[in-house]
Amino acid sequence: MSAQATVDLPLSARQPASLGLHRVIRLANWWPALRRLLLAWPFPMAIFVLWSLASHYQWVAPQVLPTPETVLTTFGDLLRNGDLRSNGVISFYRVIAGFGIGAGIGLALGVGMGLSPTFKDYVYPLFKAFAQVPSLGWLPLLMMLVGIDEALKIILVAKAALVPVALNTFKGIETVPTRYIDVAKVYGFSKWQLLAKVVFPSAFPMIWNGVRYGLTHSWLALVAVELLASSEGLGFLIVYGRQLYQMDVVMAAVVVVGAVGYVLDKVLALIEARLLRWRREAF
Amino acid sequence: MAHAGTLEINNLSKQYQVKGEALPVLENISLSIKPGEFVSIVGSSGCGKSTLLRLVIGLEHDYKGEILLDGKKIVGTSLDRGIVFQEHRLFPWLTVEQNVGIGLLNAGLSTAQKNKSVQEHIELVGLKGFETAYPYQLSGGMSQRVAIARALVNRPEVLLLDEPFGALDALTRTHLQQELQRIWEAEGITAILVTHDVEEAVYLSDRVVVMQPRPGRIKRIVDVPLARPRDRGSFAFSQIKDDVLSEFSDTPRGDIALVQPQETLGANWQFAW
Repeated sequence: MSAQATVDLPLSARQPASLGLHRVIRLANWWPALRRLLLAWPFPMAIFVLWSLASHYQWVAPQVLPTPETVLTTFGDLLRNGDLRSNGVISFYRVIAGFGIGAGIGLALGVGMGLSPTFKDYVYPLFKAFAQVPSLGWLPLLMMLVGIDEALKIILVAKAALVPVALNTFKGIETVPTRYIDVAKVYGFSKWQLLAKVVFPSAFPMIWNGVRYGLTHSWLALVAVELLASSEGLGFLIVYGRQLYQMDVVMAAVVVVGAVGYVLDKVLALIEARLLRWRREAF
Repeated sequence: MAHAGTLEINNLSKQYQVKGEALPVLENISLSIKPGEFVSIVGSSGCGKSTLLRLVIGLEHDYKGEILLDGKKIVGTSLDRGIVFQEHRLFPWLTVEQNVGIGLLNAGLSTAQKNKSVQEHIELVGLKGFETAYPYQLSGGMSQRVAIARALVNRPEVLLLDEPFGALDALTRTHLQQELQRIWEAEGITAILVTHDVEEAVYLSDRVVVMQPRPGRIKRIVDVPLARPRDRGSFAFSQIKDDVLSEFSDTPRGDIALVQPQETLGANWQFAW
C-alpha cells in the first residue's frame, strides 16, 4: 500500500484531491447566469400583456384599470412636474434616517444579547414580545405620543429595521462555532481579537442578512405609514391618486415604490457579493 | 529554531460530570516524551485519546496529576504548543496566507518577520502558489496542509495532531503521512499524534502508545526501532503493526454469551441501516 500501488489505478481515480495541487479554480460560468436572467422575463411579460388586453378591450372600467400608455404618460408628467421627485426624495430621506437609527440600535442590541447572557436574559423576552407587534400596530399609540410629523415615520421605520437586525445579529453571534473559538484560544487571542477576528467575521453573513431584511421592512413600513398618515412621500402619492380617482397616478407610484425597494435591496446584495467573496458559491 | 520540548505527563487523571455522576475519562496516565520524539497514541474511540490531547494543548482544565513542558507546569494554551485538529478549522473568510498568519497574531514579530515566516511555512507544506486562495477553493488534503502550516508557524516546541488525516481518502492520507514525516524531520520538533490508524502510527512514530477505554488507560507502549523512511511492505514493519493490532483483537470474554437471534414475529423485518 505504498506509492507504487497508485500507478495501477486508472487516471480518474488518481487525479482528484489526492495530490490535489493542480486543481483548477473554477472559471466564471456565464450560461447559468444568462439563463436565470432570461427565465425572469416570461411571467412579467404575460402580466403586462394581460393588463394591456384588459384595459384596451375595457374588460375592466378604464377609470379603474388605465391602459399602460396612460400610466406611462402620467409617469412622464409626474417626472416633469417634479411630483415624483419631491415625494421620492422625502420618502428616501425618511427610510435612510429611520433605517440608520433602527439598524444602529438593532446592531447594538444584537451584539449585547449575543455576547452577554445576562443582558440577553434581561431584554430578550421583552424584545420578542415587542417584535411580535407589527410596525403598524404601534401607529395609533405613537400618533398620540409624537403626533403625525416626521418623528412618527422615523420611529416606525426604525422599529421595522431594528427587529430583524437585532435578531439576526444575536443569532449570528450566538452560533459562532466552538471549533473556531478553540482555534482562537490555541493562538492566545485576547477578548478583542476574538471579537474582531473570529466572532464578527463568522457572524457577518447573518448580520448582513438582517440588514437586508431590515431595509426591506423599513421601506414597506414607510410606504404603509405614508398611506395612513402623511401629506407627502410616495405612499401619500398613492393615496392622493386614489382620492382623485386617478388610478394612473396610483399605478405609476406603485411601480416606483416597487422599483425603489428593488434597487435598495440590490445595492445591499451587491455589497454582500463583494464582502462575502469567501463563501463557496455552488456546491 | 525553537528547541524541541520535553513533555512529561505524570499520573494524569480526568473526569467529566455527567448528570451529577463522575465519569472517569483518563486514569493515571504517565508518559515521558523526549525532545524531538514522535509518539503516537492509538486506541478505539472513547478511550480518551482526544481528551488527552486537549489537556496537553490547554483547552481542557480540572485534571489531577501533572503535565510538564520542559519541567514547567502547563497553564492554559500557549504558542509553545501547536495543534492540528481532525477538521482543518481554517477560517473560511481568510485566505491561505491569512489563515497561516493567524498563528502569529500574538507572536510579537514585526510584519516583515511575520510575512517571511508565513511564506516559509506555506512552502514547507508545499502550497506555494496558493497563498491567496480561500478555503472553499482547496481540497481536504490541501486544507489540512494549511492547518499544519498554521500550527507550525510559531515554531512551537511540541506539535499535537488529533487524527489529522482521519477524514481524508486513503491516497491523500498516505501522501500526507510522508509529508508529515518530512516536515517533522525538517523542523526537529516533538510530535504527538492521536490516531486510530495503526499503520499510520507505526509508519510515523518512534513509539506507539496503545490505550484502552473506560476509563482511558495506557495498555502498552510499543517501540518502533525502524530506520526512516519506512517501508510499509517490509516484514519488520508488518511484525510491529501486527504486534500493535494484537492489542485490539480481544479474545472473546468468557462471561458474555453470544447473542442468539430471536425468533419473533417481527424478526423478518430488515432495516437498511
